[in-house]
Amino acid sequence: MTDVSVAVKPRAATIKPKGGGHRSTQRSRREARAAYLFLAPWFIGLLVITVGPIFASLYLSFTDYSLLEEAKWVGFDNYVTMFTEDPRFISSLKVTTIYVVVSVPMQLAFALALALVLDRGLRGLSFYRSIFYLPSLLGGSVAIAILWRKVFGADGLVNAVLAIFGIQGPGWVGDPDTALGTLILLHVWTFGAPMIIFLAGLRQIPSSYYEAAAVDGAGPLRQFKSITLPLLTPIIFFNLVLEIIKSFQSFTQAFIVSNGKGGPADSTLFYTLYLYLEGFKNYDMGYAAAMAWVLLVIIAALTGVNFLASKYWVFYGDTK
Amino acid sequence: MSSGKKMWSAALLATAVLAVTAACGSGSGGGGQSADGKIKLRFSYWGSDARQKMTEEAIKKFEAKNPTIDVEGEFSDWASYYETLATKVAANDAPDVITIEIRGLREYADRGTLADLASKVNTADIDSKVLGTGAIDGKQFAIPTGVNAFSLMVNPGLVESSKAKLPDDTKWTWDDYVKLSSQITEGSGGKVTGTQLSWNPAYLQIYAAQKGEPFYNGNKLGMSPQTIKDWWAVMQNLIKTKGAPDAAKSSEIGATSIDQSLLGTNTGAMGMWWSNQLGAASKASGQELDLLRMPKVEGATTGGMFLQPAMFYSASSKTEHAAEAAKFIDFMINDPEAGAIILSDRGLPASSKVLAAVKDKLPDADKKTLEFIDKVKSELADPPPAPPKGSSAMEDILTRYSEEVMFGRMTPDDAVQKFITEANASIAG
Repeated sequence: MTDVSVAVKPRAATIKPKGGGHRSTQRSRREARAAYLFLAPWFIGLLVITVGPIFASLYLSFTDYSLLEEAKWVGFDNYVTMFTEDPRFISSLKVTTIYVVVSVPMQLAFALALALVLDRGLRGLSFYRSIFYLPSLLGGSVAIAILWRKVFGADGLVNAVLAIFGIQGPGWVGDPDTALGTLILLHVWTFGAPMIIFLAGLRQIPSSYYEAAAVDGAGPLRQFKSITLPLLTPIIFFNLVLEIIKSFQSFTQAFIVSNGKGGPADSTLFYTLYLYLEGFKNYDMGYAAAMAWVLLVIIAALTGVNFLASKYWVFYGDTK
Repeated sequence: MSSGKKMWSAALLATAVLAVTAACGSGSGGGGQSADGKIKLRFSYWGSDARQKMTEEAIKKFEAKNPTIDVEGEFSDWASYYETLATKVAANDAPDVITIEIRGLREYADRGTLADLASKVNTADIDSKVLGTGAIDGKQFAIPTGVNAFSLMVNPGLVESSKAKLPDDTKWTWDDYVKLSSQITEGSGGKVTGTQLSWNPAYLQIYAAQKGEPFYNGNKLGMSPQTIKDWWAVMQNLIKTKGAPDAAKSSEIGATSIDQSLLGTNTGAMGMWWSNQLGAASKASGQELDLLRMPKVEGATTGGMFLQPAMFYSASSKTEHAAEAAKFIDFMINDPEAGAIILSDRGLPASSKVLAAVKDKLPDADKKTLEFIDKVKSELADPPPAPPKGSSAMEDILTRYSEEVMFGRMTPDDAVQKFITEANASIAG
């Protein structure tokens, strides 16, 4: 509802001075009604397609529901089973955590480094920007995941290159020790979206700061540490929160690279992949719904912690 | 913003559009009659584009014979078939005629989704033991379309060019199989690998039967831990002697389809699949492939191989057109005209009459399969009953623990205990 009032009010405010008095209030009210009407399709969609299923899944998470039969109420059983009797749940949590903890910082560091290079005012900047952004558009796609399987296969491109140097590479996607690594690499490779945001952030920093620092004799490293980094912390924070949420929900890459199984030996069993397998392959939709809610709690808690911690390292120029 | 009127009419239009689309959403569900008064019958199945074409052709033939029925095929690929089906059932929108395979049979039948077809479809020409696999507690929930045998496929040309000899498959042992595989790898200088690993439960089932143990015993596994460990040892030996690719590559190719298998790409000489895959494998390889009996455990009295329906037709228990659904299934199973279109696409036809009628029209690979099955028929074990509910996860569970063992991340002792615990929990009901 807040969205609605925000959308309507400014319009009414701008119109008011033009007309005058009574007529325009009536008119603005009419326009507000019209606005609600136009918003109705979206709003009904939100209720039916998003809010409804959210509550339905909350209910289902307390049931034993096979999809084929009526749901049976089982209280907290699903949640208890998850943490006490299901080693695969714990291992999927581990796999996902490793994935997030390793790939997000790597991806952000990479994105920031490239943004700094591009910010130097290279010739054909927009060309490079588009090129580097491309993987972000493609990275989540099925085609790239299939390509990844080929590139990192036992007879894939990577091993063909290694063979030139006389190294016999392992089957990267087939080996439980390296399979997750290939997925992390795939994630890092999609650095384009945070890079664009970093670039925009870098543009916001007034060049007078750098000029002043240069006059005082600060080198590029010092400038980066004392000007760029602190002024960029809000952007880093934004990217961090966004990427953590996104990578906890990763699904497609693992689904395709492991052929929908999370293998080899559960080494790429992402949380959402396991959720999907339980719901649709093992006929346990109640359990899958419970997993979805646990994931929501995990992500919400992490985001909360992130926001609390941000007080200590994020620097907003205007609040000082 | 010229006039309020214009805006109102635009808004009304938007609402109208919404209302119409909403009406569409609720109108298409359920069976019932189509606009021209015909009875609409929905039929779900999975498969390749080629299968879809054949099926559509068969449906047309059926509709020509039954002008009051309009059959609508609902087709999806195999990977997403059960998801789609389960979602439709959950939405009270189950198709009238449902194609199902043996692992899904009890998942659906035990949950009351399927109707008893006994005496509604003519099953006189189907081998009673094969027919029995579609029955649960005396109710004929599913009618087998055709049969398959899990067997060993071999490329004789590659075996010979690797300076090895085809085995006498009537009396070869698992040791012979491992030896032959490593000979092929060695003899070809590594260009051709002997065989590739398989974690298909059917393979373990055959191996266990040779030791006199059933795969399932009611709602539990019927095999001893030793049998499973011995079975893993065969694969460990294959990897050790280079008769099969290392664990990482094995797991990689295990995830691909038969077209990309070693046998299909002529980089391997053997492999194990269901016999109806021979056509696909031959096509991918472009070379002459053959079927062999599975090797045996030393001193085994039975080969353990068995026939299993490739798939079944079943009807929804909620269908409003039970009679028409049965009629359509009967047509697909018993009518030689349907058989002439479908041929061996759904396994070698289960109906002996249809099989006899289409025998000569079968593609070469299937003629070979038929010949092979006729040859080994007397040695085959009885077709096993439908596995318990929860068994659709068996292949994944087995693959997972087998890979743990092959990668040396778990000892066979440890893995076998965990495998049995998890498998039993999955099929407990």
